[in-house]
Amino acid sequence: MITSPRKHIIVSVTAIVLAVVVAAVLATVLGTASERVLTVFFISLIAVVGMGVYSGNSGILTFGHLSFMAIGAYAASLLTLPAQLKIATLPKLPEWLATTEMGLLPATLIAVLLTCAVALLIGLAIGKLEGSAAVISTLGLLIIVHGIAIGWRDVTRGSQTFFGIPREASLWVAAIGVIIALIVARLYRDSISGLRLRAGRENAIAASAVGVRIRRERLISFVLSAALMALSGALIAHFLGAISPKKFYFTDTFLLLAMLIVGGMTTVTGAITGAVTITIVIEVLRRFEGGFTLAGWDMPAIFGTTQIGIGLIILFAMFRKPDGLAGLKEWEERLFPGRPGTKAAPDIAQSAKAEPLTATGMTMQFGGLVAVNDVALTLNPGEITGLIGPNGSGKTTLMNMLSGVLVPTKGRFYQGTTELSGLVSHEIANRGIARTFQNIRLFDTLSVYQNVLVAALSTNGGKNAHGRAQAALTRMGVADHADEDAGTLSYGDQRRVEIARALACQPSLLFLDEPAAGMNRDETDNLTETLRALTRDLGLGILLVDHDLKLINQLCDRIAVLNEGHLIAEGTPQDIRNNPVVIEAYLGPNRQD
Amino acid sequence: MDLLLQQTVNAFALGGTYALLALGLAVVFSIMGLINFAHGELMTIAGYTLMYCGIAGVSFMLAVPLAIAMAMIAAVLMERIAFRPVRNSSGATMLVTSFAVSMILQVLFQNLISTRSQAVILPAILSQSVTIGGLVIGVNKIAAIVATIVMLIFLDIFMKRQKTGIAMRAAAEDFNIARLMGIRANTVIAGAFALSGMLAGVAAVLWVSQRSSVDPHMGFLPVVKAFIAAILGGLGSLRGAVAGGFLLGFIEIYLAAFLPPGLQEFRDPIGLSIVVAILLFRPNGLIPAASLKSEKV
Repeated sequence: MITSPRKHIIVSVTAIVLAVVVAAVLATVLGTASERVLTVFFISLIAVVGMGVYSGNSGILTFGHLSFMAIGAYAASLLTLPAQLKIATLPKLPEWLATTEMGLLPATLIAVLLTCAVALLIGLAIGKLEGSAAVISTLGLLIIVHGIAIGWRDVTRGSQTFFGIPREASLWVAAIGVIIALIVARLYRDSISGLRLRAGRENAIAASAVGVRIRRERLISFVLSAALMALSGALIAHFLGAISPKKFYFTDTFLLLAMLIVGGMTTVTGAITGAVTITIVIEVLRRFEGGFTLAGWDMPAIFGTTQIGIGLIILFAMFRKPDGLAGLKEWEERLFPGRPGTKAAPDIAQSAKAEPLTATGMTMQFGGLVAVNDVALTLNPGEITGLIGPNGSGKTTLMNMLSGVLVPTKGRFYQGTTELSGLVSHEIANRGIARTFQNIRLFDTLSVYQNVLVAALSTNGGKNAHGRAQAALTRMGVADHADEDAGTLSYGDQRRVEIARALACQPSLLFLDEPAAGMNRDETDNLTETLRALTRDLGLGILLVDHDLKLINQLCDRIAVLNEGHLIAEGTPQDIRNNPVVIEAYLGPNRQD
Repeated sequence: MDLLLQQTVNAFALGGTYALLALGLAVVFSIMGLINFAHGELMTIAGYTLMYCGIAGVSFMLAVPLAIAMAMIAAVLMERIAFRPVRNSSGATMLVTSFAVSMILQVLFQNLISTRSQAVILPAILSQSVTIGGLVIGVNKIAAIVATIVMLIFLDIFMKRQKTGIAMRAAAEDFNIARLMGIRANTVIAGAFALSGMLAGVAAVLWVSQRSSVDPHMGFLPVVKAFIAAILGGLGSLRGAVAGGFLLGFIEIYLAAFLPPGLQEFRDPIGLSIVVAILLFRPNGLIPAASLKSEKV
């Protein structure tokens, strides 16, 4: 389940437990005031990492997560509130709820489960939205839940204070809560689902092309993060003893978001860093808020010093460190770089589904432009097919249709007798068709190894994923770069990693879109050898688009030529070289005629 | 029937204000991908300008252009000081920057002006009403509708005929290509902010003339609504912003008028749920932005 080295997890979990316990012991020694500050800090931190589980891994900022905190808080409080008080303050509660009175632990568990169910429904609904629309929809969620909390007076007392909640959330209860939350968040980040989601955050199209179902992973993280928010809500309610809808609205949303973003939302280290920084700043500024004396000068009381302080810190962080103070990596990843040790598989296994891919009548229309017009093509296992043509002739568009990135306007394609047209990208990746992209699409902030591992984990049921990833890297000669971030590699290496990532899907058919672009002659010759070996050893079929005609001529068994969306010729390299129609498409009509 | 007509006029007035705000957000978003949380503070600045003009005895006819001008200047300054350093960052970075700006400005208003709501002196005619065909319509409502129409026509001409407007449309389709064609990034972005400031200023005048008071948080709620309107219409699409603004205005006014009293308290949640439901069927909004389709694989 966990994709990172065991060492990282052990070190991280130990550090989390130690830090929390030491802080709690220190606060107990220092007295009640520090205990209160630390308890609030712990509970806030649960919420911050909760938001981080979703926002950090998916890259979608959320404004709506405090609504889950509210649901958790009200649900748990309704269960723990003394029955007599409930009857007095909330006379219209249903009988079974009015007479229920349970301890904090079962109440919290029920509240968390309830919140998960709500989050699942909401996540299913807003999961369709992308980009900024997804962000703003969470803003809508916050307003909706706030409105319901105010309007549903029979249960929440409306905008009035909901009081009398037993104050059972002591420092140590909060400490246990925060330990659980931090460990859950840390484990999720490097779980299979978390890794897939992070790949999707870096490049959604590429992630789908290696078999990742981004929406499903997003939903998982959404529900998990809602669960942590509910935990935080239940604890804050049982710490304060009284809550109102106002507590779970914009002010606190911004405060918690500021913690997450200043620290860096992609890591647990970042969430902790941000929460500590902002809490310290608030505690310091709060003392100045009532006015103070500096070197004999009386400074006036300034209302809202803390807000201005937080605002300036955010600005500073965004100008100087847009990835947050802690950056993009966990501290233990910086300290102990590496990946899980694997027994390297001897080589990539041959894909079982060695059936030809047959496409007929493929047509793609963009508005008035017909980019690909009625093209038929057959790709055989063990054969390298070249696809050439002038710029804009529809080569990439054809490849996009055959890999599920674009839905063809017309036309169907089959693998053997199974129809593939109509399937989306990640389904096609699972049928043994893998691809690379013309403009390289790697998961830049993930390591080379993780780039390839995601592909192995998300195809063929993730069987022997580590072995397949390692074998693919070795095949492409980039195993030495495995621990580096993919975005930092040279152009040629990035192309090779992209091919390795496609190979890790264990494909029967490989689509390469200009793999030699940006490579020098030596690198291209190496690539020629590697690709030839792939078809020879594994029986892989390759569809190769490139403008390097030497590469195409050396490598291809068959060449198809597109011009202005039409297939104008198909045959052996020899045939194509002598085909007058092809010569005319490339060089223009012969003037001597 | 009368009630329906009456409410329809109200809906046009409110929807028009949302539309102007959503347009202001969309102009900036379409060009640089920034969701500007501090847009509401531009409204508040215009509102305070009106208030001070009223106190100083400046006539309303002069105060309105002054308020709009202040919002424009504030918008351009905001871009120069806060948003230029993060111009090429991710959408999340810019959004967070804008909410920090919004937070700082709100605290400044609280300290430098007042935390409480301040009355704004308005000409008496705005609070009168006229009777048209049996309908009693407030002058302020008519003013809002007329102002919205005038602004939309102005914007349409500006975007289609003016050089800067055409440059903005080009930049919204593909900023990098627009720059390669010799369009200056700083000019286009400053222009977009000035335009969004102007729209916020007009919206503020309309907003204040309905309520005749201004407070530090005045701009926050209408701008949150405008965000939602912009999403509903299709983020980054100008026509979408207008459509989304009007639709949201209609939803809110009709719910307020026709929802049974027992459910009135749930007006906002119900209204937003309707919006979400519409988005489920049209995830890219009513009129999606052109740039959405152009991502090259």
